[in-house]
Amino acid sequence: MQEDHPSCTVATAPVRRILHIDMDAFYAAVEQRDDPALRGLPVAVGGGGPRGVVTTASYEARAFGVRSAMPGAVARRLCPGLVFVRPRFDAYRAVSRQIRAIFLAWTPLVEPLSLDEAYLDVTDAARGGPPAMAIARRIKDEIRAATGLSASAGVSFNKFLAKIASGLAKPDGLSVIRPERAIAFLAALPVERFHGVGPATAARLRAHGILRGADLQARAEAELVALLGRSGGYFWRMAQAQDDRPVEPERRRRSLSVEETFAVDRRGREALAAEVEALAETLAERLRRAEFRGRTLTLKIKLDDFRILTRRTTLPHPVADAAEIRTIATALLDRPGPPSRPVRLLGLGVSIGDAEADARQLALAL
Amino acid sequence: MKLSIERSALLRSLGHVQNVVERRTTIPILSNVKLEAREGTLGLTATDMDLSMAASEDAAVAEPGATTVSAHLLFDIVRKLPDDCTVELEQRPDATELALRAGRSAFTLQTLPADEFPAMKEEQLDVGFSIAAAQLAKLIDKTRFAISTEETRYYLNGIHFHATRGGAAAMLRAVATDGHRLARVEVPLPEGAEKLPPVIVPRKTVGEVRRLLEDGAETVQVGVSPSRIQFVVGRAILLSRLIDGTFPDYERVIPTGNEQIATIPAKAFTTAVDRVATISTEKARAVKLAFSDGQVVVSAVSAEAGRAVEEIDAEYNGSPLEIGFNARYVLDMMGEIDGETVRLEMASAAAPTVTRDPADSSTLYVLMPMRV
Repeated sequence: MQEDHPSCTVATAPVRRILHIDMDAFYAAVEQRDDPALRGLPVAVGGGGPRGVVTTASYEARAFGVRSAMPGAVARRLCPGLVFVRPRFDAYRAVSRQIRAIFLAWTPLVEPLSLDEAYLDVTDAARGGPPAMAIARRIKDEIRAATGLSASAGVSFNKFLAKIASGLAKPDGLSVIRPERAIAFLAALPVERFHGVGPATAARLRAHGILRGADLQARAEAELVALLGRSGGYFWRMAQAQDDRPVEPERRRRSLSVEETFAVDRRGREALAAEVEALAETLAERLRRAEFRGRTLTLKIKLDDFRILTRRTTLPHPVADAAEIRTIATALLDRPGPPSRPVRLLGLGVSIGDAEADARQLALAL
Repeated sequence: MKLSIERSALLRSLGHVQNVVERRTTIPILSNVKLEAREGTLGLTATDMDLSMAASEDAAVAEPGATTVSAHLLFDIVRKLPDDCTVELEQRPDATELALRAGRSAFTLQTLPADEFPAMKEEQLDVGFSIAAAQLAKLIDKTRFAISTEETRYYLNGIHFHATRGGAAAMLRAVATDGHRLARVEVPLPEGAEKLPPVIVPRKTVGEVRRLLEDGAETVQVGVSPSRIQFVVGRAILLSRLIDGTFPDYERVIPTGNEQIATIPAKAFTTAVDRVATISTEKARAVKLAFSDGQVVVSAVSAEAGRAVEEIDAEYNGSPLEIGFNARYVLDMMGEIDGETVRLEMASAAAPTVTRDPADSSTLYVLMPMRV
């Protein structure tokens, strides 16, 4: 990582040094840190009620197969000794502030993705300073010293690879993907690991014999676009290690949405309402993690003929919790009526309307 | 019903009423205009149930009668007829179609019965006064840009009119605000308006009244009841619901002690803000104004696009001050400043700024800054 490599595929631009830092089992780890009685036990942070889902599982719980976004009942079945703990977001936010301060001491180019995850561009710090990998190690050490928690770090020359790298050796991991290794690394990577490839896209790719990055690399960009639409071009570039997205500090988010493409089209109000409920849970969780608030809720319905219906409503207050999202989203599904055609995709999102768009605009004290 | 009418007269009145009709409505008859042939006149009425517009024109009526027909369709047909022609309208008794003939063109239009056409409930108009059309136009023009479109604060979705004593003289005031800026203008209180209760006139009604004023009438008759307002302009009558709400106590947000005062040439300021804001790529385009002795520097920065800066000579004797505004808000307001200069009265970068037109003491604007 120290010198520019002549074999590098993105040799035209100076090679960047990007870190992705991700706290390990963040919410659960904070709970175990603050309550010694929980240490060593399988812990799930999340709503404990009948509809509750697991937000974060400790590594002890993961050994039983407990995963985030899993319904609580399923998690209990997998792990009868599972201890459910209600989330304490104030505590998580406090830790989040500590780790952001550590990041900012190294570089102003910090792009937080959520409370427990961020991209850092340390190109400048690594120039004449310690190599990027050493910076990553020191950041991990500083996080442990300040918070008592462990983080995993990925080091590479773009965001996509840095994020994959941080996931390679969790927990408490540190891995590096060097430019000269990137193409070979991506060639071996299963397509499911590419950011944005969900089960439905993976199934389509599989049906065309595309299983690994090498298969993406072997196709023409136009072929992937024909297969997947615009995102085909995105996956093609990722497979070529071409990701020039900058690390953007202070990203001002305007919307946050989740969607699900169904392997089999959904028909009928009941089936759709069930999917809307599941999306509401996921969206509520994502909103909390990103600390995002908005008043406009949008339901997106893609029909089997690829027509897209969008229905939205704006509330007088920011959209609050999963229950409220569920109620409103179900109402949007029913008004003016559930779609009459089979549905291939449902999406649910919260956005900031024009009126509330710019937090910098001050308001009259009316 | 059978009549003939000059195309130009029919087009004028249809132009007034068809605008009231909503493009999308779930009640079919609300898409229609009611036509009523009486002795020597054709009456036209359209409504969206919040607002109704009635107009009448001279016509040669052979057989009185009434019917309703699609307003936009009839307007489009009449619009495309040749100038200076005469239009014949005829509906035979018990027929469901209206025949329209002009020169060698003939149309047959589906109708709905006139007795099914909904009327807005009549109310006794307790307060009545007459106001010069130019005064009413001024009250509307200088405030309407600040009307809020945010539906959650519905009581800001219109212009607030009320009678007041501005110093010695009684005045009629118009105020609009969207929570970020406020516009206030006043004219001498017309005779008979002393008992005018505070009202909020909805945005759509404001727009329709303003269009009626284009026809060159000199005065407008205004009638007000607790929930209705009526404007009579020439032969057109506009009856509207009022917004049922209380306008906030806006006087509280108009600062009186701002001491950082700048006087800037209006045209140079407007064009500079417009030019500099070009660089800003965000939806809310922010400009920064940096005031120092004898000048103001207008600037904007965009992370993606670059920077822009422009200096303007200005009278300024306060301490150096930097303050940001939404360029759109500045330009909307400057569009209503008619004098050579504009006067900005500021306190700080986070406090409301009062703006005046030194050539017109009847207007006042308040702008909230943006953080830049």
